[in-house]
Amino acid sequence: MSDPVGTRNSTMAVAASALRAQQSRMRIIAENIANAQSTAPVEGGDPYRRQVPVFQTREIDGATGVELARVRQDPGDFRLDYEPGHPAADAEGYVRRPNVDTLVEAMDMREAQRAYEANLNVIETARAMEQRTLDLLKR
Amino acid sequence: MGIDDIPLFSNLRGRLGWLAERQRVVAQNVANADTPGYAARDLARPADFSESLSRARGVEMARTSATHLPSPSGPPSRFIAEASPDSETTPDGNSVVVEEQMLRMAESRMEYDAAIGFYQKSLNMLRLASRKPGG
Repeated sequence: MSDPVGTRNSTMAVAASALRAQQSRMRIIAENIANAQSTAPVEGGDPYRRQVPVFQTREIDGATGVELARVRQDPGDFRLDYEPGHPAADAEGYVRRPNVDTLVEAMDMREAQRAYEANLNVIETARAMEQRTLDLLKR
Repeated sequence: MGIDDIPLFSNLRGRLGWLAERQRVVAQNVANADTPGYAARDLARPADFSESLSRARGVEMARTSATHLPSPSGPPSRFIAEASPDSETTPDGNSVVVEEQMLRMAESRMEYDAAIGFYQKSLNMLRLASRKPGG
């Protein structure tokens, strides 16, 4: 039979895969926020483009875990600011700014945090259940 | 006679296995709470836990007709995980609501504690019965 302990280990493996995925997501959000003002190194060039994490399911010990499949580039339009003196300004004096909205990133960060906490909760509960079983040995 | 030959114990063991398995399904749901297109799942509640336990011991699916295909290599899991979408589905097709999963998890944990408690009490009764009179 599939023993309960083995099941619980894969429970933890699944939750751990999610922790890892959310961690990577946080890293991407950090990159987005850090580069919210990064303009192009050349005149009239494209600035930093917002990155979006894409999650997908992954098989882990016969259970369905999660992984960061790839990082997609946000195709959204850049903001245009009229700033003729800027080194990255084009011939007409417009500077292209990244398509990062810090408000959206902050929301995303909250969501990642919540998901992380939820997965920690799962691990804690799985651990407590296992502990309860081990307690049987004590008496 | 093993301890699992006592119906109460085999029932409890089946239940514990089911709860641990359900915990795993909940973990899968929570892990994929942000995966586009993922449908939340839950474990079907078996009518008889000891029966589902005995089914685990390498028993094949019953073929009631010669036209049925034989099962490949038996079920990977003793219990059946079925689609059970939560109250909301996001535009990207994800039907996991973390709050509902947390609720399910807490429920499983409580039931697990209860089952372990039963198991312990029953074990104590067995010990009592096997003790030397007056000892």
